[in-house]
Amino acid sequence: MNYVTTIGGREYVVEIVDERHIMVNGTLCEVDFDNVSDQPVFSLLLNGQSYESYVYSGDEGWEVLLHGSLYLAKVEDEREKRLRASTGSRVADREEFHLRAPMPGLVVTVPVVEGEKVEKGDVLLILESMKMQNELRSPRSGKVSRMRVKPGDSVEQRQTLLSVI
Amino acid sequence: MFNKVLIANRGEIAVRIIRACRELGMQTVAVFSEADRQALHVRYADEAYLLGPPPSRESYLLGEKIIDIALKSGAGGIHPGYGFLAERADFAQACLDAGLAFIGPKPSAIAAMGDKAVARSTVRRAGVPVVPGTEGEGSLGDEELLSLAPEIGFPLLIKATAGGGGKGMREVSSLDEMPSLLHSARREAEASFGDGNVYLEKLLEGARHIEIQVLADAHGNVIHLGERECSLQRRHQKLLEETPSPFVSDNEELRQSMGALAVRAAQAVGYVNAGTIEFLVDKDKNYYFLEMNTRLQVEHPVTEMVTGVDIVKEQIRIARGRQMRYTQDDIFMNGWAIECRINAEDPYNNFLPSTGRITHSLLPTGPGVRVDTGVYPGFEISPYYDSLISKLIVWGETRAEAILRMRRSLEEYKIVGVRTNIPFHQNLMDSHRFMGGQYDTRFVEKRFSMEAAEEGKTDQSGIAAIIATLVAHQQTQRAAHIIQRGERDTSNWKWLSRWERLHR
Repeated sequence: MNYVTTIGGREYVVEIVDERHIMVNGTLCEVDFDNVSDQPVFSLLLNGQSYESYVYSGDEGWEVLLHGSLYLAKVEDEREKRLRASTGSRVADREEFHLRAPMPGLVVTVPVVEGEKVEKGDVLLILESMKMQNELRSPRSGKVSRMRVKPGDSVEQRQTLLSVI
Repeated sequence: MFNKVLIANRGEIAVRIIRACRELGMQTVAVFSEADRQALHVRYADEAYLLGPPPSRESYLLGEKIIDIALKSGAGGIHPGYGFLAERADFAQACLDAGLAFIGPKPSAIAAMGDKAVARSTVRRAGVPVVPGTEGEGSLGDEELLSLAPEIGFPLLIKATAGGGGKGMREVSSLDEMPSLLHSARREAEASFGDGNVYLEKLLEGARHIEIQVLADAHGNVIHLGERECSLQRRHQKLLEETPSPFVSDNEELRQSMGALAVRAAQAVGYVNAGTIEFLVDKDKNYYFLEMNTRLQVEHPVTEMVTGVDIVKEQIRIARGRQMRYTQDDIFMNGWAIECRINAEDPYNNFLPSTGRITHSLLPTGPGVRVDTGVYPGFEISPYYDSLISKLIVWGETRAEAILRMRRSLEEYKIVGVRTNIPFHQNLMDSHRFMGGQYDTRFVEKRFSMEAAEEGKTDQSGIAAIIATLVAHQQTQRAAHIIQRGERDTSNWKWLSRWERLHR
């Protein structure tokens, strides 16, 4: 799996190759990563170099305390990046919004019905993909229309699921 | 002579005193609040008695009840530690009235040094210089203070007569702003101490806070154990202490003359037991009496590390009416010691106190390292008492060795469950000004920030990014495992709610 991790404006592309290897910005590294006694303390052996760090999940990402310095890291996987791209797009209030599947998956729940009024940020549909349940939210307020899917449907990437008018 | 000591305190200092008693073969009695049932001092003591609910005024400040417990348990002496009842002359007197030894100074000495104006005039009469100000003039009205201010000169400080901890203290840079500052200082002093009296003191710029440890026995012997440098403070709270002071360093003449003055100040009030004379030292090495702390200090271990004197044992010896084991000629300072106060405070969030259960703790050990603490994994840091978790003290042959040893100890020290100021101390150890010994009482507030300290340091963003990614990946994998489809016979939603109930 590919992750894009940002610290202080710098991006690191980290690919999990297998249990013992990762690619960091294209360089293959040997890793041995362990959680110390079930605490938020982690031990990393990176190409033989030993690091120990506290990791907390904060409001704005991961807080990594390493050698007396605190780093704020935002970790996104490809799925999240695509999700953000699909719903993060600015939709003018008067424009119709067509919800498209950001990735192939299975429709788990559709908490709204045809003709229902929704507010910006309401969950329109839950799509299961990459073993994760993803909430797809409305970028604008309006009325649900042209419902094209129901729970249990498999959908393709970029397939239109429903619209908000 | 008593053989059983009641410790009227909690936390690391109670543990420290119990240790001294144990080594002396004396019995110990602990007292505790409901919040401290599982505290180390309760577990270590030979006997322990409940005082009451967690708030201090319903537990550790109940002087009468504590004296009662001492009498019932057969303790012959009470050690007050620091804080709580340690500097209350009425409590010391009540102990004596009940036929108990108070392991500390005489009530009269506590009273004389407790009122700052009285203390200043007393030591001044004994020939000890004080910071220029309106000390010993009694309670002055606003008009008198305003007319005296230009004589002292600006900038100056308004201080509460009954004060401490920065309460009722105001910095004044000109006569114009003085009336309103006087008003607010009096109001704050009144609210904090029930005494609105204030006095003026010249504000020494670039001053250092250096104190001298003294010991005095009932046979008229008074000695000093050298200085401690306590300039590293934040909002008048000390964060790090070291001895010798890098400012005094090998200036033996300055050390001995300050020491001799401290001894004279102690003699001026007929002082017995351990005490500390605080001095302000300006950049020209002029020094002035600031105040006397009539108790064991938090930072006493650094002095113990370089002099080899066990101050707590000596306190008990003195309280039992014996002579001190040392004369001034026996006291030498060997090497260098630094103490970092490890507080449950988040240095990345404006030093906000952090409470919670300590889930994991790994103490630094190895040569030259001492940790004084009252907590352990599983212990709850409650909001009722101060945020001091432990004191990390190191000794080195030289200051450089002590700094390097402190650095590696801070890196070894792991505390999980609450946020601590360990990263602050790590940054401090890396600060060039600290390494050069170039700091005064304003250093932490004016010249130090966690961000600035991080400039020029080896940037480990890459490593941090890998760690964060791997933690996030682990979490994703775990979450995926929970709601993996087709591996269970019930619906995912049912399964998920069961799983959540299980883990609630």
